[in-house]
Amino acid sequence: MPTAVIISSIAIATALALFIGVRAELTRSREGKMLAFVALLVLPVVAVWSGFNEQMDRAQTREFCLSCHVMADYGKSLLVDDPSYIPAAHFQNNRVPRDRACYACHADYSMFGTVNAKIHGLRHLAIQYFGTVPKPEDIKLYTPFNNRECLHCHLGGRKFEEQKAHQRTPDELEKIKTNQLSCTSSKCHDIIHEVGDLKDAKFWKETAASADGH
Amino acid sequence: MTSIERKIRWASILTGCGLLVQLGTFLVVSPLAFIAFLGVGCPLVIAGVLLYLISLLKGTTAE
Repeated sequence: MPTAVIISSIAIATALALFIGVRAELTRSREGKMLAFVALLVLPVVAVWSGFNEQMDRAQTREFCLSCHVMADYGKSLLVDDPSYIPAAHFQNNRVPRDRACYACHADYSMFGTVNAKIHGLRHLAIQYFGTVPKPEDIKLYTPFNNRECLHCHLGGRKFEEQKAHQRTPDELEKIKTNQLSCTSSKCHDIIHEVGDLKDAKFWKETAASADGH
Repeated sequence: MTSIERKIRWASILTGCGLLVQLGTFLVVSPLAFIAFLGVGCPLVIAGVLLYLISLLKGTTAE
């Protein structure tokens, strides 16, 4: 549902709810009772549900992730002009949706992935406002990056399946697929955000035309 | 004003305030807005809806 429609429906629900509050005596009539039922039960429930979905959707955007200051360098690393930086190569070549670049790789594609991510998010928020915010380069993943997140897109892809580097031993591809051999920490695709080295990096300029794809 | 109308008035104030908070959270895209939506907006609306339902039940019982 478009955001404008959701916001309009919440605004209408708000106005009607407050109107009933100002004119509570209207509920003495049958029509007033029906109006109150719609204004105080049906519309708020619909507004909360659609609003919740919209908020969950927004929580997947790059803008949301980078709104915390400590994440700024991670956003900057997406623009490094060096294809060996895996996130940068994915971002600049539209291998991930640009507006959801963080979520595309850091969503835990398992049954409780979203719930776990939200619980972690609450912890991050508590640290942001009440704790000691670590340096960007000191931020680590809770668990080693799981190949599942890469295979979500690459599994079955010709380039991935037929890549010689993935078949150096007979069981290498199988080990990658079962996460026994990590994509990111097996000296293969191990240049990730590297936020500690950004001072000397060259950056690519994201243009409006290049961003049009997503 | 009857007691049911008073409950409905409170229900509408709670619901209206909750929805206003929710509207406000759409102005910015940030984790804090997300928390305000879930932690402030939703409980206020739920409290308002529950109070309205209670007023309906009490009204039915009184009749």
